[in-house]
Amino acid sequence: MTSFPLKIVTPDGLIYDGAAEMVIVRTITGDMAFLARHINCVAPLGMGCATVVIDGNKRYAACIGGMISVTDGNVTLVPTTFEWAESIDVARAEAAKCKAEGIIHRESLTDTEYRLAHAKLDRAMVRISVASRGSWVRGNNMVDINNLGGN
Amino acid sequence: MAGVSTKEIKNRIRSMESTKQITKAMEMVAASKLRRAQAQVANSRPYFEILRNTINDIVDNNLEFTSPFLQERTGNKVMYVVIAGDRGLAGGYNSNILKLVQSQIKEKEATVLPIGKKALDFFKSKNIPVLTENYAEAAGVSIGDCFSISKQLSKAFKDGEFDEIHVAYTNFVSVLSQTPDSMQLLPLVPDGHEKKTPSSVTLYEPGSEEVFEAIVPEYLGGILYGALCESRAAEQAARRTAMDSATSNAEEMIADLSLKFNRARQAAITNEIIDIVAGS
Repeated sequence: MTSFPLKIVTPDGLIYDGAAEMVIVRTITGDMAFLARHINCVAPLGMGCATVVIDGNKRYAACIGGMISVTDGNVTLVPTTFEWAESIDVARAEAAKCKAEGIIHRESLTDTEYRLAHAKLDRAMVRISVASRGSWVRGNNMVDINNLGGN
Repeated sequence: MAGVSTKEIKNRIRSMESTKQITKAMEMVAASKLRRAQAQVANSRPYFEILRNTINDIVDNNLEFTSPFLQERTGNKVMYVVIAGDRGLAGGYNSNILKLVQSQIKEKEATVLPIGKKALDFFKSKNIPVLTENYAEAAGVSIGDCFSISKQLSKAFKDGEFDEIHVAYTNFVSVLSQTPDSMQLLPLVPDGHEKKTPSSVTLYEPGSEEVFEAIVPEYLGGILYGALCESRAAEQAARRTAMDSATSNAEEMIADLSLKFNRARQAAITNEIIDIVAGS
């Protein structure tokens, strides 16, 4: 597959800078896939799983907030947080999920408290679901994209 | 009379020694904090730059829409986010940035959002309205705080509470050089270069208005965080340099005083000998 230059940067540093064949990200309106020679495009990101195909291997990541932009064939992904599936701390995400659920079920919450807890819960859920996918792919020793089927 | 002065000099040397120890210790603390802050700057810089370039590209290529974030207004109400330090003894770090802000807001109706205790104290003493005092500790401001500030500011900007939003921070050029700087955050104007004619059509998903609505707060948060990292590193670097020169000044004074002390001691001995010789 034709590849294109991809840059992924978060406030914690440059995560990836190199060629990729496909990027799928969750934007605020739904999933979008980017291939080489995409038209110039800007889209804000929601929270969800991002899939990056590098040399035929799929890599998953939890990708939250920020935006993706395509200018003259260069794809730049600027999320607020971006964690590869294999580096997600599942225990921490589970703990965050339980804590957030506890807060939501409490009574007499202010609007802001509820929103914050809900956002935390969503983020934890994204991390957990992405982490489970990542381990599956790793278990198969990063199999070729064609063998993964229509995942 | 000679005895009194040697004692006095001795006391001064002793107090100078303890000052030197303090400044030396502060220098070493600043040096170790600086290393950490420098690593943080190195990490956040690519994000800072790419984010700014991307926004500039978008502003340049923008054709059809008129988001409130892009329109320049004629009003005089400016908002300054000022990032300074929590503590003094950092050379000109705090005063430089505060002077810069003061000269820029002179003829305007300004509100500030101070980050850092020094900035808060300064604007309070000058009776300049302060938006919030929640961020008085620059060391404790996290990236999450940056994003909540940015949400608050972009909402206030859209509601017309402010006509311009700026951030004033200190650029960490190198360990020896830090320059105070300010940057206009809103409205978004192509900075530093001529506005190009849009080269190609850009697709905005789902629509240009929504894209800007979602991206601008993220952009502000990212830029604020970057500015905060720069300022923190600059503060430590400024403190390290200031304490380094304070230590060497103390050393110089000690050397000077030791010389005086020895001379006074010599004079006392000579006097005693003269007394003995004269008496015999």
